[in-house]
Amino acid sequence: MTTEDFERWGGAAGWSTRADLTPVETLMWRSERHPVQSSTSVVVIDLDRAPDWKRLVAATDWGTRLVRRLRQRVVDPVVPTAAPTWADDPTFDLGYHLRRERVADRDEMLAQAAQLALRPFDRTRPLWEGVLYELPEGAAYVLKIHHVLADPLGTVQLLAMLQSGKRAHTARKPVGEVDDPTSVDPVELALTGLRTDVAALPEAALDAARRLATTRPQTVLASALRYGASVRRLLTHAAPASPELSPRTGKRWTFLTLDAPLEPIRAVAKQGGGTLDDAAVALVLGGLARYHRRRDSELAELPVGVRVSLDRADDLGNRFAGAVISGPLAIDDPVDRVAAVRGEVLSLHTERALEVLDAVAPAINRTPSFVGAGALRLAVAPDAFVTTLPGPPRKRFMAGAQVEGMYVLGPLPGAALTVVLTTVGDTACVGVNVDASAVADVAALEECLREEVGSFAVGQPVGPT
Amino acid sequence: MSGLSAEVRAAIEAIEAGPQGPSVGAFFDLDGTLVAGYTAATFYGDRLKGREVSPAEFVRTVVTAVDGELGGDPTKIAHVAFSAMRGESEEAFADLGERLFRSKIAGTVRRESRALVAAHQRAGHTVAVASAATSYQVRPVARDLGVEHLVCTQLVVEDGQFTGATDGPMLWGRHKASGVRRFAKAHDVDLAQSYAYGNGYEDVAFLSSVGHPTALNPHRDLRSAAARLGWPVLDLTDPVGGSLLAAGRTVAALAGMNAGVTAGIAYGLARGDRREGRNLAVKLATRIPMAVAGVTLDVLHQERLWTHRPAIFVANHQSSLDIPVLGRLLERDFTIVAKKEARWDPRAIVGSVVIDPAWIDRSDSGSARATLDGVVERIRGGTSLMIFPEGTRSPTPVLGPFRKGAFHLAAQAGVPIVPVVLRNTGELMGRSSLVLNPGVVDVCVLEPETDWSTDDMSERIAALHAKFEATLARWPS
Repeated sequence: MTTEDFERWGGAAGWSTRADLTPVETLMWRSERHPVQSSTSVVVIDLDRAPDWKRLVAATDWGTRLVRRLRQRVVDPVVPTAAPTWADDPTFDLGYHLRRERVADRDEMLAQAAQLALRPFDRTRPLWEGVLYELPEGAAYVLKIHHVLADPLGTVQLLAMLQSGKRAHTARKPVGEVDDPTSVDPVELALTGLRTDVAALPEAALDAARRLATTRPQTVLASALRYGASVRRLLTHAAPASPELSPRTGKRWTFLTLDAPLEPIRAVAKQGGGTLDDAAVALVLGGLARYHRRRDSELAELPVGVRVSLDRADDLGNRFAGAVISGPLAIDDPVDRVAAVRGEVLSLHTERALEVLDAVAPAINRTPSFVGAGALRLAVAPDAFVTTLPGPPRKRFMAGAQVEGMYVLGPLPGAALTVVLTTVGDTACVGVNVDASAVADVAALEECLREEVGSFAVGQPVGPT
Repeated sequence: MSGLSAEVRAAIEAIEAGPQGPSVGAFFDLDGTLVAGYTAATFYGDRLKGREVSPAEFVRTVVTAVDGELGGDPTKIAHVAFSAMRGESEEAFADLGERLFRSKIAGTVRRESRALVAAHQRAGHTVAVASAATSYQVRPVARDLGVEHLVCTQLVVEDGQFTGATDGPMLWGRHKASGVRRFAKAHDVDLAQSYAYGNGYEDVAFLSSVGHPTALNPHRDLRSAAARLGWPVLDLTDPVGGSLLAAGRTVAALAGMNAGVTAGIAYGLARGDRREGRNLAVKLATRIPMAVAGVTLDVLHQERLWTHRPAIFVANHQSSLDIPVLGRLLERDFTIVAKKEARWDPRAIVGSVVIDPAWIDRSDSGSARATLDGVVERIRGGTSLMIFPEGTRSPTPVLGPFRKGAFHLAAQAGVPIVPVVLRNTGELMGRSSLVLNPGVVDVCVLEPETDWSTDDMSERIAALHAKFEATLARWPS
């Protein structure tokens, strides 16, 4: 157990040591309009008891030393000639980032977590905040984290890495190597970027000229037209947004959490020929179908934002693209619904423009930030975003308290709800962030989602075997 | 099996090694998968030729097609076509489907697709054509392939006329996938064990519904998706449409044939032996043109062509190429029976000089019998006879029924029947094509059958027909 912990912690020490933000991260960072185009996620960790506060503070202090990124801030060049870069925060104060509060019950904790998420980050400090909520029974640790620091997948991985396999304290933990703190000056950063650009300019011009001379205009035109057609399909071919899930302001976040046994969901996924991701989408669609029926709304399909692997379809590779599919609402059989979702998701692999954001981000990043914000808004926002994340496969502890559930509550970039299914041991921990201005009856939606979880869990669903 | 690529043979072996029986489905897309090209284009071309398309409709069609290519709704073009059909008679349209199948579409059915369909049929799988096309396009192809089930777009018909609307969505993209899933449920087909074949980017959802998807001659975007999804890609050879080079070679081949005939006849006249002259002419007239056109023969059991002469040779008929091929096989001392009307066909004149056919007048049964008596005499005198018992060329490699004439002659003359199975002459030279493409013709000579009599003739003909079918379905090696 202890060796396993050490290996994991060693991995955590090497976590994210890249100096610059990637083009897509840069786009997110520069075009953030909080909270509507927020890049903030919240992770809620249910604990069986309140951990010893001193031990939690010490462990967090250790964690921020092990994972240096947690003590770094983003430095932006004064003009966007270079990517923003990570730099050690010489004024880092753990007291600013970690605090504890007492709440009456779990609902209050979730409401407080939503309020925490809605407050913008201090962009001059490291981009995370942790709050330990002590409940009459048990506790919850809530981590608010910026997408630029870690995407939800990275956050869950990081948290899983920092947790312990046993309840007792581990005395001699590994500590990250301490280098001299790097300091970065925004003006110097901009100048360096400019110098690099100027130096690269003749080469780039020559390259462009060479490419123009060697390619046939017909080929370029045909290829451009095909790419354009693909972009147009990706932006317009999904179903129109549901009138039941509007108007969306993105300013009233409401957090819901649901638990489901993982095995039946995996069984339904397998019968439908799909992955756990497909099953999660099918599950949310089932819940939304119930909600629409309950509100007497006839709708055949609605747009759902999904994550598509850019490597092989079934790999949990590192390259993902977000895309919108038309999610069927009229299919009652969960297995059939999984198969339909599977077909929609796989169909995205024929789109050459799937990586469009990756492709255009570097160019957009050279423009003023409102252009980037506009570009992100260009794509039709789906009614719901759905993703799954792999959490810790076994029991984990945080400063002596056992982790009972981990829920990721993602931002709402134009959607009515964002659903993240995290696998924790043999449980699916479903975190739902709802735009309360778009969903007229949040309680009914929660009930519908619970009913759908039930229909996934009841025995083996009917379907071809 | 010659003629099938190694990949197709491997796919067929995998089907044979996999689960058998009707609970396994095999779903074939039509356009671009079973047939090369688009059947809808053939239908539209026919409408255009018949001037049934108004300029406004034409412009609308082109604009919709271009918009579909540029990322618009690609199914819109079909709906434009469907609504233009409002008020037309369903029966007339179904007849048009049959006519276009015989004249155009039959020639575009891929031979290797046919082999895949046949492999699934042998395995007892539930085979269906799944297509966004209408049943008028799909049905003739499906029937030709012996496929019973269609999963396709249905047009609404009222009082025998199209209303211009579809019954349910057009089975394209996700709708084709759900159509296939519905079909599977209704027919107890286990999709996880089933097979699907498609070629377009819109086929991904359809293909992903089954456990064994194959991207067949995929378009660019499906090809890249298949690579990403780890799906097998199968590239089949298209029916050869006749390249300019092939056309040039055909002209040269015809010239060679005439030169061969002339040389042979001249030789016969010089030696004072017309029979030897004819035999040489046949030899030259078949060998030279085939060599020029790049056609070679791969013959199984060639010895059976010589063990029972004189005999009546019967062969299946798909192409004008069949006659030179058989001439090349039989080589000497044979003739054919031809209908009298063909006597003055300019293409037949040369042949008739060479092989001196027995002309029969089908309209006058008395004269027909007299001719046949003469034929029986000739056979007894040592001249073998070549007959296509199907009577006419079939539009596709599917075998037509056998007429009895050849077998009556065998009974009367007391000679054996030597069955000759030809496999892919239709591939190299289409039914109504004038262009001969290079390639290998597969020939299999079956066991000669002796002692024909009228008593059990029907049963024996049926048995022989079955042997032809079996040989075509599973080529012996």
